Amino acid sequence: MSEYGLFYRDCRNRIFNYLMRLTGDYGMAGDIMQETFTRHLEHYGKDNREIPLLYRIARNLFTDEWRRSKHFAAGEMEGEEPSIDQEHRLMVRSEYRSVLSAMASLEEDEREILSLTAGGDLSYTEIASLVGISEANVKVKVHRARLKLKKLLKEGDG
Amino acid sequence: MNHQIISLFIDDELTLNEKIEFVEEVHGSKPFKDEAIELLQQEKLLRSDPVERIPERKLKTSRPHILRFLRPVFIAATAAAATLIFVFFPFTPQQTPETPYRFVVYRPDVSRVEIAGSFTGWNAVPMKRVGDSGYWEHTINLPQGEYRFSYLLNGGERLPDPTIPTREKDDFGSENTILSIGGRTT
Repeated sequence: MSEYGLFYRDCRNRIFNYLMRLTGDYGMAGDIMQETFTRHLEHYGKDNREIPLLYRIARNLFTDEWRRSKHFAAGEMEGEEPSIDQEHRLMVRSEYRSVLSAMASLEEDEREILSLTAGGDLSYTEIASLVGISEANVKVKVHRARLKLKKLLKEGDG
Repeated sequence: MNHQIISLFIDDELTLNEKIEFVEEVHGSKPFKDEAIELLQQEKLLRSDPVERIPERKLKTSRPHILRFLRPVFIAATAAAATLIFVFFPFTPQQTPETPYRFVVYRPDVSRVEIAGSFTGWNAVPMKRVGDSGYWEHTINLPQGEYRFSYLLNGGERLPDPTIPTREKDDFGSENTILSIGGRTT
């Protein structure tokens, strides 16, 4: 396996998991994850190993390609017309389904910031630069989103 | 006390002074400690893997680059070539022969068995229980070739096919069965 192949193998999970938390859509997360590495390789070469850059590419792809549809699959899990098929939904770990449903109920910016911090790869400074807000704002938003998620998870349990 | 400091703790963003403040608060205030624990548990869940396995996607290391200004020419040339081929060579659709393959596994002790493999795009497909025999089955048409798959028990545990000895480890520490249909190996 090439060195870039090893980098891909090491990093694909974290980019996929970020996209999964962000979109709640198994197929979409897989597609954007694949395209992220393709673009990274094309534009930055096989020697680049910047993980924050991968997040940036993935986020841009998500914004460009999918955000306009205002689509979040997990929010449709209980709906009448689910946009992802049954097989894809089965791939979501049962204990994580409530998390994705709660994430779907967050505001877009809250979901985004929690998806980024949950990866554990990016500092607040890097997240601020990526999202285009101040670091102080990141601090406020992260905590506010966590409290909201806690409330939603509790409501889901009840 | 601003509880925002809990998130700074979770994300390793505390300065030394804030760390002192955090530890003092944890020891001095039970509600603060309880909230910190709750948010840490929540974060543990949020940071866990969302899915059983991520979809198999090959790394695309290259793709054709067509200069923008050449695209119309390229499209026209392709269309012309396709027309010529269509005119001079009679169109005979070629179909890859597919054979029904029945997957069977004996697991009387579980309530759900699924199969996921290269032929399902690694999506879990439910298998059908065969009466109360303890057997589960799923039949799928497959062309000749080599496939990898494994069974999923109760949506979690993975099980390679006990009747097929050829296996390989995947990136997740589990084993997949290698199934060869028609004797072809790739």
